[in-house]
Amino acid sequence: MSPDRAWLGRRLLLGVGQTAALVVLIFALTEALPGDAAVALAGDQPDPQRIALIRENLGLDRSAGERLLDWVGGLAHGDLGTSLVSGRPVADLLADGLGPTLVLAGVTATLLVPLSVGLGVLAARREGGPVDRTVSGLTAAVHAVPEFALGVLVITVFALRLGWVPPTAIGTGGDLWAHPDVLVLPVLVLLSRPVCTISRLVRAGMIDAMASPYAAHARRLGLTPTRVRWAHALPNALAPAGQQLARTCDWLLGGVIVVEALFVIPGLGTVLIDAVAARDIPVVQGLAVVFGVVTVVVNLGADLVTRRLAPRAEVAA
Amino acid sequence: MSERGKRGGPGSRRPVARRYALALGLIALPLLFAVFGPLFAGPAGARGVSFTGGQGHWLGTDFAGRDVWRQVLLGGRSVVLVAVAATGAAYLVAIPLGLAAALTRRTWLAEVLIRPLDVLLAVPSLLFVLLVAALFRPGPAELVLVVALVIVPDAARVVVSAATEIAARPVVEALRMQGESWWRTAVGYVARSMRRTLAADCGIRLAGALYLVATAAFLGVGVAPDASDWAVMVDRNRVGLFLQPWAVVVPAALIVALSMGTNLLFDAALQDPDERVGERL
Amino acid sequence: MSRTTSPIPFGDRLPASRRVFLAAGGAGALALAAGCAAGGSADPGPHPGAGNEGTPRRGGRLRAAFPGGGANENLDPHQANLFVEVARAKALFDKLADYGADLAPVPRLAAGWEADQSLATWRVRLRRAAFHDGRPVTAEDVLYSFRRIADPKRAFRAKASLEPIDLAASRALDPATVEFRLKRPYAEFANTLAAFGAYIVPKDADAFERPVGSGPFTFGSFKPGSSLVLRRNDRYWEGAPHLDEVEFVVAAEESARTNALLGGQVEYAHELNPATARVHEGKGRITVVRLRNSAMQGFVMKTDRPPFDDPRVRQAFFLIADRRQLVDGALSGAGEVGNDLFGKGYRYYAAGLPQRTRDLTRARALLREAGAEALRVTLDTAPAATGFVEAAGIFKEQAAEAGVTIDVRIGNKDTYWKDILTGGTIASYRSGAMPIEAHVSQRLLTDSTTNASRWRVKDFDDLYQQIQSTSDETLRTALYERMQRRLHAEGGFLIWGFADWIVATANRVRGVSVTAPANTLDWARFDRVWLA
Repeated sequence: MSPDRAWLGRRLLLGVGQTAALVVLIFALTEALPGDAAVALAGDQPDPQRIALIRENLGLDRSAGERLLDWVGGLAHGDLGTSLVSGRPVADLLADGLGPTLVLAGVTATLLVPLSVGLGVLAARREGGPVDRTVSGLTAAVHAVPEFALGVLVITVFALRLGWVPPTAIGTGGDLWAHPDVLVLPVLVLLSRPVCTISRLVRAGMIDAMASPYAAHARRLGLTPTRVRWAHALPNALAPAGQQLARTCDWLLGGVIVVEALFVIPGLGTVLIDAVAARDIPVVQGLAVVFGVVTVVVNLGADLVTRRLAPRAEVAA
Repeated sequence: MSERGKRGGPGSRRPVARRYALALGLIALPLLFAVFGPLFAGPAGARGVSFTGGQGHWLGTDFAGRDVWRQVLLGGRSVVLVAVAATGAAYLVAIPLGLAAALTRRTWLAEVLIRPLDVLLAVPSLLFVLLVAALFRPGPAELVLVVALVIVPDAARVVVSAATEIAARPVVEALRMQGESWWRTAVGYVARSMRRTLAADCGIRLAGALYLVATAAFLGVGVAPDASDWAVMVDRNRVGLFLQPWAVVVPAALIVALSMGTNLLFDAALQDPDERVGERL
Repeated sequence: MSRTTSPIPFGDRLPASRRVFLAAGGAGALALAAGCAAGGSADPGPHPGAGNEGTPRRGGRLRAAFPGGGANENLDPHQANLFVEVARAKALFDKLADYGADLAPVPRLAAGWEADQSLATWRVRLRRAAFHDGRPVTAEDVLYSFRRIADPKRAFRAKASLEPIDLAASRALDPATVEFRLKRPYAEFANTLAAFGAYIVPKDADAFERPVGSGPFTFGSFKPGSSLVLRRNDRYWEGAPHLDEVEFVVAAEESARTNALLGGQVEYAHELNPATARVHEGKGRITVVRLRNSAMQGFVMKTDRPPFDDPRVRQAFFLIADRRQLVDGALSGAGEVGNDLFGKGYRYYAAGLPQRTRDLTRARALLREAGAEALRVTLDTAPAATGFVEAAGIFKEQAAEAGVTIDVRIGNKDTYWKDILTGGTIASYRSGAMPIEAHVSQRLLTDSTTNASRWRVKDFDDLYQQIQSTSDETLRTALYERMQRRLHAEGGFLIWGFADWIVATANRVRGVSVTAPANTLDWARFDRVWLA
């Protein structure tokens, strides 16, 4: 459809703008942090002369605007810049961190959709019934447990007491595919909260959709309850859940800091934390670009889905 | 016409009451601790050795040798207040914003309202907490601001998404054609129809706020590392989990009860048949 | 330039656990000679170990988990700043000397050292040793390494330690002898040879992707932020290590290091929490090693501004501190109380001075005399090291009992050390192991670069110079006692404790030193370790 294409084009353009805005925002926030890379590098030897020298060597004595422009200039040639701290190209650092992150995020997302949609639909079958209450209660409870606490719990039980899986990813060198047993606990912890969020949204949406005149109409037309549920109600119920899913995908990319720390997985979250603490602005900027691009793409997908699903209400009219 | 056709039925009154009781029971305990705990905390006693039991400390001592019971009494206020205030603040911004964006016929207005939020959405929430929290001195007011900022874009997106779906219903079109004011359409119909989705979302956001507060403690931002705060207690005392479990278990149970109870309360409220009357148009 | 650590506070206050600077380091700008003018013997002596039972067995790979610096790390030994970086550097490289358990210098690549009458010219004899590529370690390599560190355009951490050396005038007398010309007499010059980060690299080495050193292990493979594999150097001058391989892995989170050790994923875990140690000590599952006196803990008072410019206020604060309670609360009991003097258990430590104890009556009287009743001060702290914020909170309570109101101000952990160097009036402070001489020269002289107590006293400077011009050991010991007596009476450091550094190993690991404070020769010394 051509209106769709125009919409898509506009959204992509917007996406570029958003990513640019994001990079500037992150740059401004990082600049606003107290201290700079020179101070962070000097650590507990904050000899003022030494800090000045480091600052000069790193080019931090130039103005913020100048440094940002420089970096943007490099970006135009596909150059993400060089880490202030290690002198390694930012692209290399990101590439190192991206592998484990993608594996972790991919596996989690793949399991997340069927699991949470299934749970949501199951709970919505009979609102207030025993299944619904069990699922709702369980999701409400698990959702309330912070990952670090859940992580400590599952490591203690499944790795240290029962010895079924390794407690950390140490020794894999970041190559998680080669050691699938290492993935079990991190993925379990990562799944815990999004499954709760999304299944609850699916449940609420399903109950609404099943009660809508549209579904009633479908039933009157003699469609089987199963068909009404899966083919007609579910798509409507997925609209809000789709947005949440998009959000979860963003989060899987950079927000899994806690899980990376607990299980010693050298992913992007770890790179991020280190870069912020060291005030390594080029690395933080490079990450902002990655996050921006991914978010734009994922949200675009979610909006596409919403556009496809929600208009059904019109069709029903 | 009835928006919600057959569901529940009159027979479900008693289970709903039971669910209320359960939800309220779960919420009551942490809430009582949060509100009245500080009144009973009394002065700080002498410190003991960290992670020990006995010697007058009936829940033992924490990582800094303080009495765990006293910390539990003191530690609820900040957690509960921060989470509730941040969620409230977020919705105060998100609902008008989302309704305006969903109901306007001017595409550019919707774009202007929603796009800046998309930029914020693209910042991983923990990065955002990390960066913004580092700009402030640790404290409850600052943490409210940071957590609210993280929640707003999410909440607004859910509002927009739900409102868009409802706004596409024939009823809204009919209201428009009858010349109903924007206000009546937005608040009187759309906002009310969204209640179920919003309530589910609100429970999630509140739990999310609790989660952010707890994780901020783990990351060591936004809150002093020795603050009297349940979230901080869970994080700091977990190293002593096997020496003195109460210092972790009690505050963790209180946080979980609060979060779980909130979610169940919203569920129960939505199922209450008496409540449904209001949903008739 | 050296790098600080990264991060976030995890676990036990992340910051703390992860970051841990080797505060020790930096070593002394001026240093003190081992036996004074005649360097120590070449024999490192017997090696005290955790489990030295039995004959060392050859072979195997030891995996060691350290908190670390993330994907930004590199293998330039002169940039070493974190414990993991130092541990890797000492496996790959050697220094001319290193610190023994009492922080006195022990000869390493240097076979010995001796001074002329002036104590300003030192001759260092090198032992026969070779780099991994077979080239011998020569005087030229030593001079190159020192000049690289001291390069005015760069900011290596050890630069300040080498300041007393006039490198332009220093020279190689022959391939195995270096003559150092100093800018002033320096009896403890050997401290410089052992300075934090003063590793000897081959002449002209400036890139360290595949480092070549003279250390007990040779380079295998490196993945920044994740793992470094090293292999046995069969031609090591001190005898080949027992292990075939050692792998350094980085895990910032304390619980992850513990879990990896319990789960058999590593055999050595550095820096564990005192609570973790209490859980596992004596249970037989893993072996816990406490490295005593590894980190001084205290508060630094600015002696150049009110209220701490009045010595009576400083004395009152000394008397307010309940040291046992601070050690129990802030360090979970893993440490010893301090006596407001740096370097407990180290050479020249004035152990004879009476242990200061709490005396609120006397503290109130002193404050009254100083006109500082109802005193209110702001104490700066940050989660920059383990126990900082806790100690501040505890001290606040203690001070309240003496009528002093303390407002605790929590600052930014990443910029903390710079912020407190010149700002504020009283702040949390810590330091890793270093010779007492290094502590004095870096922090207590008028021209010290990190003089956080703003202690600038002319006759104190003179006393330091007098010590460094004294070749007689007994005399020097007496002068050190005089110096410490003064610091004990009215210095700017309130030193309430010395923290243990906790290391744990799998039960089959043998040969781990139990006496070496973190950052000394026998600490993290994997060439002596073997697997039973």
